[in-house]
Amino acid sequence: MNFQLTEEHQLIRAGVREFCGKFVDPVANEIDQEPRFPSEIVKKLAEQDWLGIPYPAQYGGAGSDYLSYIIVVEELSRSCATTGFTLECHTSLASYPIFKFGTEEQKQKYLVPLCKGDMLGAFALTEAGAGTDAGAATTVAVLDDGEWALNGSKIFISNAPVAGMTIVFAMTDKTKGTKGLSAFIVPAGSPGLKIGRHLNKMGIRGSLTAEVLLQDCRIPKDSLLGQEGQGFRIAMMTLDGGRIGIAAQAVGIAQAALDESIRYAKERVQFGKPIASLQAIQWMIADMATEVEASRFLTYHAAWCCDQDLSYSKEAAMAKLFASETASRQTNRAIQIHGGIGYIKEQKVERLYRDAKITEIYEGTSEVMRMLIAGSLLR
Amino acid sequence: MLNIITCFKWVIDEADIKADAATRKLLFGRAGYKISAYDRHAIEEAVRFQEQHGASVAAVTVAPPSAKKCLKDALSRGPDSACFVNDPSFLDLDPSQTSSILAAAVRGRIKFDLIICGEGSDDLYAQQVGPALAERLGIPCATCVSKLTYAEDEKHIIAERRLDDGMETVLVPLPALVSVLPGINTPRIPTLKEVLGAAKKEIFNVALEELGDIPGPYLKTVEVVAAAMDRRGIRFSADEEGVRSAVNALFKEGVLSQGVL
Amino acid sequence: MDGIWIFAERQEQTLELLNPGRSLADMMGVKLAAFAADGGLAPEYIAHGADEVFVLPPLLPGQPLESYVAVLADEARKRTPGVFLIGATPRGKEIAARLAARLNTGLCSGCTGLHLRDGSNVLEMERLMFGGKAVQKVLCSARPQMATVLPGTFEPAVCLPDRKGVVVEVHSASSSEVRIVSRSARHREGADVTEAKIIVCVGRGVESEEHMERVRELARVVGGEIACTRPIAEECQWLPEEVYLGISGKRVKPDLYIGLGVSGQIQHVAGIRESKVIFAVNRDENAPIFDAADYGIVGDMCRVVPLLIDELGRLLKV
Repeated sequence: MNFQLTEEHQLIRAGVREFCGKFVDPVANEIDQEPRFPSEIVKKLAEQDWLGIPYPAQYGGAGSDYLSYIIVVEELSRSCATTGFTLECHTSLASYPIFKFGTEEQKQKYLVPLCKGDMLGAFALTEAGAGTDAGAATTVAVLDDGEWALNGSKIFISNAPVAGMTIVFAMTDKTKGTKGLSAFIVPAGSPGLKIGRHLNKMGIRGSLTAEVLLQDCRIPKDSLLGQEGQGFRIAMMTLDGGRIGIAAQAVGIAQAALDESIRYAKERVQFGKPIASLQAIQWMIADMATEVEASRFLTYHAAWCCDQDLSYSKEAAMAKLFASETASRQTNRAIQIHGGIGYIKEQKVERLYRDAKITEIYEGTSEVMRMLIAGSLLR
Repeated sequence: MLNIITCFKWVIDEADIKADAATRKLLFGRAGYKISAYDRHAIEEAVRFQEQHGASVAAVTVAPPSAKKCLKDALSRGPDSACFVNDPSFLDLDPSQTSSILAAAVRGRIKFDLIICGEGSDDLYAQQVGPALAERLGIPCATCVSKLTYAEDEKHIIAERRLDDGMETVLVPLPALVSVLPGINTPRIPTLKEVLGAAKKEIFNVALEELGDIPGPYLKTVEVVAAAMDRRGIRFSADEEGVRSAVNALFKEGVLSQGVL
Repeated sequence: MDGIWIFAERQEQTLELLNPGRSLADMMGVKLAAFAADGGLAPEYIAHGADEVFVLPPLLPGQPLESYVAVLADEARKRTPGVFLIGATPRGKEIAARLAARLNTGLCSGCTGLHLRDGSNVLEMERLMFGGKAVQKVLCSARPQMATVLPGTFEPAVCLPDRKGVVVEVHSASSSEVRIVSRSARHREGADVTEAKIIVCVGRGVESEEHMERVRELARVVGGEIACTRPIAEECQWLPEEVYLGISGKRVKPDLYIGLGVSGQIQHVAGIRESKVIFAVNRDENAPIFDAADYGIVGDMCRVVPLLIDELGRLLKV
């Protein structure tokens, strides 16, 4: 049992912190307020080899482990949740399915540019009538004249407006329910592919979230990812890994809330002394730190399981459940510690509070996480 | 091909040092360590030469064995190899010892044409090790270098020195030592591949016994206390009344010349 | 092993070093000697307290000042001074470091205070470390006891025109493998900040160069000079590097320091620590500058500075 990060992991963390101090912190507020997609930062993420961290060098990745990737997401999110999430969505949701289920040809064509940062990726599973219930998807794919024709619409698709390719899930056999779902690689610019309106969100506001509309969208036959009918499995496996990434994002947000709270509590003077000397504040800080640490350990443990080739589905769900709820709780406490000033825009804690909430929702809600955990225990 | 040595120091992160207000004692608590910021510019400059002229770069440090962590950190920034001159007694060395140890470690052991040091260290900022090392190795040096150029095939470098009265451009025959100012470059943040690649690079250990006689120390530290900061710390509001009170206070201090109250 | 020696790049620094040099020489009962590159300065140095002036041989064309290391080392070996104080200019610091290595002695860099340790001839030397966070006191066990002293640390020595002293020509040859190719003087914008009684210092909190106009107006109203933090000079380049304050820049001790949008990093504070009164305006109430300030206003520069200009202008009748 070893709770210490390797020297490499420590160096990676130090590198990301320096990166954030230099390039992300100065614009994080602006990314949220305008809001705008941080494309200049994404370009720099590529230069740092951070866009394909856990994928082998032969596919343009850094050839590192999942924990390295988790640390990068955590530290980026500590500075700017939009940036952390953009990386998470790209790495876990878009690149992983190709790495895991793609043919060699698909990997060369898509995974290499994804890892190198020549292309961003998106993942389109959710529909208006099919969120948690993926089997209710109404998007269909039919083989027609040697091409796949896709019809339907997807909502809440992150990175879609900037993606060079999107993994789209569609029914190839409606009669089979989830077993009729298949995954496709849809390159940007495919005929019949339209990106719908951009959604105005509460948090992670710089992240681009839009509808993906497929109107007789034509893609080559070899765009099928994995086998026909394998889509649900691909989606679920992808989300398992993604949840560790969302947990890391939540840990980063929660840590930032703690950082801000400690700093403020030591500086803010009331009744002639810093509020840090008040027990009410001390207890809040103690609870915050403990919960953040617990979330981090769950998250790193899930990543470690992944790196050790152990099953990590339950671990990922626990990490995401606890870390996301921790992030919401800690950002709430952080505002309480800040008092009135914490309610003002341009204060980091105000942004953190809004950024935290989504981690309890996307890539599986807290309720779904509990179902998964209970399911694996009561099976 | 040029052979370059870059020297760096593993220092306590001064941002982590706290002070006890009552006793003025420094509290090191869980302070972390880092490569001295000035030395990161030295490493970067060496690596820039490596990229432009195909030089080999060896990073050298003098530290206790507990500082081993610094090696991968340094190597991830681009040098080809690291030389770890270590002994448990290499703690709180004075600049004369550090320069003597470096000289003894380098002499006859590492081939070099150019040694690049940072202008000072984050902890002591004595600014001595570079020029003192040059003296001990009997090579010329230039300090305060803000721009460094090397004409290939010519055995000299041209260094622009930023001094208090202006710029001075000097020609220094190789082998030589320069100490560089932070403005000379912007150190890169190691990429992930560079971090992972650090483990594959060569590390030489040099022990105290291999160094021969090291003279000194000549400086004895008798006290280190937190710098006193006895300021009044009175705050005023940002409105007209606050500004008026603040200006009033400044007049009362007698620091505004034509006070008419 | 006796004698206090002084070497500085420029005349005004030599005059400053003669001040502590004279006190030490008197307390230790030894002679005070100063080096001069120009024999014409000898009478002035003697009037300011030197018992002896060593006139250095002229440098050859292209020889840097550091070429004197060989000369100074030869002289020190011959005459064995007990204390050697050198002006901590960039060239002075290099000379001192190399000299200490040649003479195998200790050197206290960037010395800010010198005292004799109770009744002995041992110097207790003070300097800053950890970016100005701490004060280190050191003793030197070898001779000469060396220190580089930052310009402005001491007032120039008192001038007694009738003082007598000896002028000695030094004949050792200077040498250097380093050759000066060119030199360009730094052109000065405005007066020397280290001389200013009032300094208006600009930090990162001054968000755009457009706000500099208001800063200049404030400086004009109070009759102060404008200085800045390191990033303003190095990264933004709004102001020349010779006016950035801090441990690696200029160290100042004005009567009044006004910090505008200065966050108060320890490295900066180390350069302003000796100001008589520190007044800071910053939007961030948590900025460490407020811990280093006597008076502070938490507020937006754009709002506070015009109010300050009005109020100060009214009272100072500018």
